[in-house]
Amino acid sequence: MRVSIVPTLKVLRPAAMIVLVALIGMVFGYYANAMLFPGTSPAQPINFSHRIHAGDYEIPCLYCHVQARNSTAAGVPSLSKCMGCHAEVATERPQIRELTAYWETGEPLRWVKVHDLPDFVHFTHKRHVAAGIECQTCHGPVETMDVVSREAPLEMGLCLECHRENEVVHGDDCWTCHK
Amino acid sequence: MPNVDRRQFLKLVGAGGVGAGAGFMLAESARHPVEHLIPYPVPPEEYSAGIATWYNSVCGMCPAGCGITVRTREGRPKKIEGNPLHPVNEGRLCALGQAGLQVLYNPDRLTGPLQQLGERGSSGFVDATWRGGLDAAAERIDAARNAGNRVVFLSGGVRGHLAALLETFTRELGSGQFLQYEFAHPHALHAANRRLFGIDRLPYYDIANADYVLSFGADFLNNWLSPVNYSLGFGRSRQEGEHRGRFVQVEARMSLSGAAADEWIPARPGTEGVLALALAQQLVANAYAGDDADAWRAALQDYTPERSADITDVPVETIEHLASALVDAGHALAIGGGSAAAHTNGADTLLAVNALNYLLGNVGRRGGMVFNPDPAIGASDTEPASYRAMEQLAADARAGAISVLVVSNANPLFNLPAAADFAGAIAAIPTVISLSSFMDETTALADLVLPSHTYLESWGDDAPDPGVGFTVGAVSQPVVSPLFDTRATGDIVLELGRRLGLGEAMPWPSFEECVKDGWRQLHAAGGEAAGDFDTFWRDVLRSGVWGTDTRAESGVAVPDEVIADIAVPEPQFAGSESDYPFVLQPYLSTGFYDGRGANLPWMQELPDPMTSVVYGSWLEMNPETARELGLRDGDLARVTSGNGAVEVPVVVYPAIRPDVVAMPIGQGHAGLGRYAENRGANPIELLAPSVDTRSGALATGATRVSVAGTGRRAEAVKIGGESRELGRNIIQRTGTSGSAGHSARLNSIPIVVESS
Repeated sequence: MRVSIVPTLKVLRPAAMIVLVALIGMVFGYYANAMLFPGTSPAQPINFSHRIHAGDYEIPCLYCHVQARNSTAAGVPSLSKCMGCHAEVATERPQIRELTAYWETGEPLRWVKVHDLPDFVHFTHKRHVAAGIECQTCHGPVETMDVVSREAPLEMGLCLECHRENEVVHGDDCWTCHK
Repeated sequence: MPNVDRRQFLKLVGAGGVGAGAGFMLAESARHPVEHLIPYPVPPEEYSAGIATWYNSVCGMCPAGCGITVRTREGRPKKIEGNPLHPVNEGRLCALGQAGLQVLYNPDRLTGPLQQLGERGSSGFVDATWRGGLDAAAERIDAARNAGNRVVFLSGGVRGHLAALLETFTRELGSGQFLQYEFAHPHALHAANRRLFGIDRLPYYDIANADYVLSFGADFLNNWLSPVNYSLGFGRSRQEGEHRGRFVQVEARMSLSGAAADEWIPARPGTEGVLALALAQQLVANAYAGDDADAWRAALQDYTPERSADITDVPVETIEHLASALVDAGHALAIGGGSAAAHTNGADTLLAVNALNYLLGNVGRRGGMVFNPDPAIGASDTEPASYRAMEQLAADARAGAISVLVVSNANPLFNLPAAADFAGAIAAIPTVISLSSFMDETTALADLVLPSHTYLESWGDDAPDPGVGFTVGAVSQPVVSPLFDTRATGDIVLELGRRLGLGEAMPWPSFEECVKDGWRQLHAAGGEAAGDFDTFWRDVLRSGVWGTDTRAESGVAVPDEVIADIAVPEPQFAGSESDYPFVLQPYLSTGFYDGRGANLPWMQELPDPMTSVVYGSWLEMNPETARELGLRDGDLARVTSGNGAVEVPVVVYPAIRPDVVAMPIGQGHAGLGRYAENRGANPIELLAPSVDTRSGALATGATRVSVAGTGRRAEAVKIGGESRELGRNIIQRTGTSGSAGHSARLNSIPIVVESS
């Protein structure tokens, strides 16, 4: 006796079509989300422009992100650091007024993190700055950005590629980053 | 292309739409959560994001007073270690000290003042404000003071300027009384030292330089007095001298220290002092050549090895070989405390142990016991309250003599036997105010709760007791800003003082200033050479400790009448031997100490070092006893004393006398938060109100109990699996059998094996 699945398929075809279309829709929806709302340049509480500070005025990165050379975190400047200049400079601009309001109420600014590594990755700025890696290697041309956006994917491939290119000692080992 | 009719088309459009929506939501759910970067408006000095800051402070978990160094990140404490500069612990710290973080971050901490609106002990606590709470407290205290009624401030063990401040506060009130109650305070040791040497300070035991340590019941490697310091000394005695130091432990139930000993001698409970006097008798007969040798000989003539062997259940040969080992050792040291002192003759037992030290010529000497000088800061006249004093307090309360009770950092409801009926006493006190950080059993009965900071959030200072043989002061500084709406105990008292018009005697704006002021005086006493105060203070805060090693050898004399009077009376046990065949020995547990650690999950998870049990309580019992009672490991047994009964699982424990059963203290809380509540049983409840006759301390080992199976099983949770060796050759033995050393056999189970 021969058994054929063709009749069964014929019966199931409409259902299979529905499933197929739903799956295509799902893939489409997933990528539509990623493309329309990439989240790489989130809105910040104050429209701070790196282009003006780091680009036009050529303030070095480490002037504000002081801890990058000796800590795991680069550090975000405190309000007192901002006010060090802006108590005098450009005080009439609306953004600076907003900043001054934060300063006067003593309320901390809640910046939204743009470059975020998962908690299971041990990354330290200190080592990378000491090795002479440019900030822009991972953070992109921040000095040209009015709104900071994440340009590098910040995934494991990026780390490994760079570690291999620079022949980092133990750069391929799992526990170099996952510890 | 198949024909698609209208109906099919609509279906496909619907499916595509639903699929796209699902895909969109899937991407949304896989998105990184938004994280914020929140810089300080004005960063603290020396703060760097991502870089740890270490603060030196003082551990507040037990009365030993070790120095700690706390690693903080972004203003949050992350790890507690020992302060390497502190002479008590030299960088080491015990498990309970490490778990201090879980006191700070405990989810059951009281977050603000509470007022009881319902009946006492009900759940009628409502949030209050500090202003309202302090006003109410001051008002009640003021009314009591004006009526001439007593205001009692009952605190746990405190030292340093907080003790001085509490003393000033209660003294200035006129009708105030300051009591410190510390469950494990060595009252008997104080009494024995006072009587024999006329010295009230605790001695420093120089274990490091001793080459023969004979300990009577003191579990000094686990939690007796200053365990981290003693463990350091023990390690040095074992490993750093020319010879490996020997160590013999005398106790009815093998403690952690007993397990580390070369020889374990299970003397009959309460007769340890007789063994000490038998050894003293041998010393006087064979080796001692002091001027008062005749007096000692006369006093000790009854303590012959034969008679003592009968009393103590220790063979004559053992007594003789111990005595000759003591004579032969270069620096022999006898330590007494813990289970040996927990009887009605506790102080006499320790007196006998001290006499042994005296006859060995090691009092005030290297490798012996060195008496500590008076503390440099916060010298207090208030002796910690013994059980007798607490009974008196309860009796006064019942008689209506006490109007206000302020409880701070003490939990008498848990730490006093049910026989004391402290709950009944509290019921007779019109106003009870608690300053506890947790809703413990005593705080649950308060009318007003003004929660204190934890020790990691407060200022304070300490002179460790027992110290290390020279004056040491240490400053405790906050390592984190207060997490909740709580206040430092000192600040609460200062605030009450201001409201009660005691500002003149207590002029400081904050307790921090009070501590600093005290240290300013200490600094001024140093004269010109000490430099300016600000530098000194910064240095003290940085190092966390202050002091110079001025240990010097000195002798002591014992008055003849004290020698003539020396004797160890028979211990008295509550309950008849026929009704209650076993002596109950409750012991301080490694993780919970006297019960205060039971709300720390790390301590609940910490396996008991001897049985490997985690969580819960258990009853340790000799295998022979278990066989006679028909009980197996994990059977639920009912332990009954004349004062109550508890049900706990049996843990068969070979290293305990057959006539003794033991239970760890610490579990069986009815309060203290989610991790502590309704777990295990509290052996303190069972204890008869017997006291050590000389010191008035609770004789915790003087209660007899009966044990019966309940027919149910409740196996204790053990991480160790099988407790027997089963031929796996895990316990390695050294030396030759027979004559080379001593071997105690207990119920045909070899307990201690000889070393060559």
